[in-house]
Amino acid sequence: MAPTLLNAALGALLAAALLGPAFDRRSVAVVVAAALLPNLDAVASLAIAGATNALAHNVWVPIALAGLLYWDTALRDRSVLRERYGWRGVRIGWVALAGFALAGIAPDLFAEPGVSLLYPVENVYYVVDGLLLFSTQDGVVQTFVSTTADAPGVLPFESPGTTETHAVPTWVNPDGRPGLALGSERRLVLVDAGWQAVVVASAVASLAVRFRPWTRAGTEAAPEGSVKETSR
Amino acid sequence: MVSTIVHAGFALVLAAGLLRGDYDRRALAVVLAVVLLPEADSFLGPVMSGAHRTVGHNFTFPAAAAFLIYYDTRMRGQSLLRERVTERGVRIAWVALFVHVFAHVSLDWAHLDGVNVLWPLHDSFFRLEGELFWSSVDGLVQTFVDVDLDPETGSRRVDAGSTGTTQSVHVNNPVEPDDPEALAEAETIDRRFPVAGRGWRLYLVGLGLFTVIARRLQNDPPAE
Repeated sequence: MAPTLLNAALGALLAAALLGPAFDRRSVAVVVAAALLPNLDAVASLAIAGATNALAHNVWVPIALAGLLYWDTALRDRSVLRERYGWRGVRIGWVALAGFALAGIAPDLFAEPGVSLLYPVENVYYVVDGLLLFSTQDGVVQTFVSTTADAPGVLPFESPGTTETHAVPTWVNPDGRPGLALGSERRLVLVDAGWQAVVVASAVASLAVRFRPWTRAGTEAAPEGSVKETSR
Repeated sequence: MVSTIVHAGFALVLAAGLLRGDYDRRALAVVLAVVLLPEADSFLGPVMSGAHRTVGHNFTFPAAAAFLIYYDTRMRGQSLLRERVTERGVRIAWVALFVHVFAHVSLDWAHLDGVNVLWPLHDSFFRLEGELFWSSVDGLVQTFVDVDLDPETGSRRVDAGSTGTTQSVHVNNPVEPDDPEALAEAETIDRRFPVAGRGWRLYLVGLGLFTVIARRLQNDPPAE
């Protein structure tokens, strides 16, 4: 799976971009937590074979959550979420869902080891990796979507295997199979490549700018003042 | 280059997070223009060796620009910039500078031969590549900066991903899709305009589009 730190950084960037007036420390924490949530299926893989990048990394969970959120906030006469937390609650709910799907699940889809998008309906892992370019000699060249039918799944993407044949190693579960595997080496990957370091640094810098500890120093009543300051 | 479209996608995400009340079409247009502009150094390639990824892609000019904006708006009695573009313009200028550093120069730093980090002060391309992980066997491991200790002399050599100078490095781009010498001999020139060369780049493009669309669909908070 993609480094957990990358999920958190992308969640923080989405939070800063989308929360608007609901932006404060607590709401950012909620969105980042939502972005980390899908990675818990690595824990489930200790008991369920092939749960990593499958059990919570699929399209059904976000669709179900979106449906639930839409039903509660738009279709019902009285919204539980709005009654309890008001406008802020609804905004944070939607942005947290975006964090879950786009910062939590999606980054894993675009590189090995891939995501089992339709699990449990189908247990095939997919990877969307390739290139898309325009060449003056060859025209449009793209290799993201492959229509050749040697992949085991129904979606037209490359596949590294199914939950039976393709194990996803994580630091929680180093061999990707049920059982604790206590003796083996564990690797907690923080940053996998240069671009991920850039994304993490961007997220840290963005949050630093949004919270601006250096301008707040010297003004009285920091916590209350900061809420007003950041929620403009 | 990492495709300009990828830069733009990531730039939109960062700009949406930083512009706050200044977020509108014009501010985004300014930010995107600043993302586009450095690619113009491709056109200097035919007259200056290794110009692409050098003239528009370094950290020296952004640092100088940051100092100039700071000096003009904070230290002088009367700010030229604020007079011309108002307080809002100054805020957008800071965001554009941030986006240039993080969404453009830094992303290119992690791609192909990297960028000429300290040009024109120091002519050397650097590439940001490596990983950082904690292993239960080896502890914390990072491969971004290699530190070699010569066992005989005890001298230390630090390699932060140096790839060469403007004389030796040529980063392919649509204007000069290959080494200038190879191009002079080639019969047909294949110019390639990348959109996304890897999955994660497609992801960043999508994330940028999603951010802008989501901002449009969002409703305003009720007036209190």
